[in-house]
Amino acid sequence: MSDRVDTFVSVIAPMRDDADILAGFVEETVSMLETSFTNYELVLVDDGSEDDTLGVARRLLREHDCIRLLPLSRRFGQEIAISAGLDSVIGDYTVVMLVEGDPAELVPEMVARAMDGAGVVYGVRRARAGDPWWLRTGARLFYGAANRLLGLGIRADSTHFRVLSRQALNALIKVRDRRRYLRTLSSFVGYPTEEIVYEPRPRRNPPRRKGPVQALALAINIIVANTTRPLRLVSWLGLLMAGFNLAYIGYIVIVYLLKDDVVEGWATQSLQLAVGFFFVALVLAVLSEYVGRLLTEVQDRPLYYTQAEEVSSVLIADERRPNVVAESTESR
Amino acid sequence: MTHDRTRCDSLVIGGGFYGCSVALRRRSSGDSSVTLMDAGDDLMTRSSYANQARVHAGYHYPRSLLTGLRSRVNSTRFIEEYKESVVGTFDKYYAVARSGSNVSAAQFERFCERIGARLDDADPEIAALFDPDRIEAVYRVEEVAFDALALRERVRADLAAAGVAVKRRAEAIRVRRTPEGRLAVESSIGVFEADRVYNCTYSRCNRLLVDSGLPPIPLKHELTEMALVEAPEEIAGVGVTVMCGPFFSLMPFPARPGLHTLSHVRYTPHHAWEDDGGSYRDPYAVLEGAARRTRFEHMRKDAARYVPAVEDVRYLESLWEVKTVLPRSEVDDSRPILLKRDHGFPNLTCIMGSKIDNVYDVLECLEEAPA
Repeated sequence: MSDRVDTFVSVIAPMRDDADILAGFVEETVSMLETSFTNYELVLVDDGSEDDTLGVARRLLREHDCIRLLPLSRRFGQEIAISAGLDSVIGDYTVVMLVEGDPAELVPEMVARAMDGAGVVYGVRRARAGDPWWLRTGARLFYGAANRLLGLGIRADSTHFRVLSRQALNALIKVRDRRRYLRTLSSFVGYPTEEIVYEPRPRRNPPRRKGPVQALALAINIIVANTTRPLRLVSWLGLLMAGFNLAYIGYIVIVYLLKDDVVEGWATQSLQLAVGFFFVALVLAVLSEYVGRLLTEVQDRPLYYTQAEEVSSVLIADERRPNVVAESTESR
Repeated sequence: MTHDRTRCDSLVIGGGFYGCSVALRRRSSGDSSVTLMDAGDDLMTRSSYANQARVHAGYHYPRSLLTGLRSRVNSTRFIEEYKESVVGTFDKYYAVARSGSNVSAAQFERFCERIGARLDDADPEIAALFDPDRIEAVYRVEEVAFDALALRERVRADLAAAGVAVKRRAEAIRVRRTPEGRLAVESSIGVFEADRVYNCTYSRCNRLLVDSGLPPIPLKHELTEMALVEAPEEIAGVGVTVMCGPFFSLMPFPARPGLHTLSHVRYTPHHAWEDDGGSYRDPYAVLEGAARRTRFEHMRKDAARYVPAVEDVRYLESLWEVKTVLPRSEVDDSRPILLKRDHGFPNLTCIMGSKIDNVYDVLECLEEAPA
């Protein structure tokens, strides 16, 4: 007991239909917290689960101390669920863990590194071995484009698993974007960061994976939420096209003046139209994306709504945690 | 029965503020002999002592107009009657949280207007103590605290003056009906016979009932912890309550001069349970058996997010007590007092209320239907 680090650690775990693996996750995490830190809390944020996740979580509240259950009123998405947790945690260091596969045993080391001065310590997946080829290729393309073309500075294969200092957290929760991406936001706030390479250990077999559409949507969302460079790119393209068209007008005028017979040229004209419309379509696509974003940001709705929060109700009848707790409660 | 039987008109079980008040009222409404018994070493040592010391002026119940209005009426009377135990030297502030609060600042203002409670904007230097990202508005309110020790002295003197027989270290064990139709209470110091018995034992209300073979009343208990702290200079002279949800109160505790109680809606209740007949647990036994691992750090960390100066409070000890409420008031803010007449036996009355200054409601109702 004496080697526990004297600090207050908060763990946020967003949940979504995790009834099957939640108990294992909570037990592993709480016993790690209990043996490693003098003070801790585990905040379970339920993102509108449709299975028995809430039921399992309520049972765990009666078995373990220092757990809070924060059910969102409907499904808002994982990033928003994490935001709800970030708004409510009280610890000196905040850990974001996914129920799906983040290993609890790494937390003490990550917290120790955060205590040594890193504002953010984030996890990086060692290998994407379990992923299908299209996801691996897509991810490589995405990270390449995001970092080189768009200047996003997202570490390839970084995950949600991370530790934030109170300072970094306070900066982070001031960002009230509708669409939030913890991974880019934590680099946006700009405190010293460190990474820790690890192997996620799926608690579910087979693990849940993103589909191609989800993965692509996520990539687009991350880009649009974090950079206006595509828009700038489009502006350049538009200028280029304008110049090209200007030259072409000159060409037409010259041809008109110098040539008598101008009926032919169908090929050039249709090519010009096709190229022009291609870029117009592209410009519209990107613009609509940003206009849509402007709309959602301007609406300024609350990010999320929560239902009544619930807390652990455990009767600890002795110095030590085990045995006494199980049958102590009868309410609901 | 080897013990002598002590006879009286009214027997009040439980020497908290409610029990004392009921005993005094029975005496003044004509009972010639009133006995008050308490299991503790002294009167008013349990929940009448270990609480926020708040004289509720209504601000606290923005979602229950009735409770708010009654609090205003009652607090005025309480302050008038117990002047010497009321401490008004602290400035009290209510702050409305931006996120997670059940009322908005606008709603709170409207509520206070409707119940006629005065609300002023806090001075800039006080408002600056609160984190504007988390707090929507800060108001100075007219709310006083009471000194539980001074109140005890006063009540003790009143009881003596009124000629109420006070039995300390006297634990009521069970109550039964005598063949003559009176009530007999077996206690640790003998049997008492009375025309009327008032069970004012708060959290232990059902212990007496269950042991007497009577049906328990549905009650919800919480094992609670309030931290006694020394506040840093900038907040030493004030009381702060953040509304209205899982937030905290930092309240001056006049019974321990210089100290505040820090309590938190989320962390103060350590364990909750309900009396549901089948599995009765004596709240005092639960309290005695609990490991009492303090949650002061949790309270401090959360409170400091709203009022950074709370980071520097110094922890002295915790006040542990069982808090009991009626399960129905879980849904809203209302805090009705239970007054159950003829429970199981004729003339056995159970009284269970949790706000010291609301005692007048129950005293008035007692008058309405003379036993």
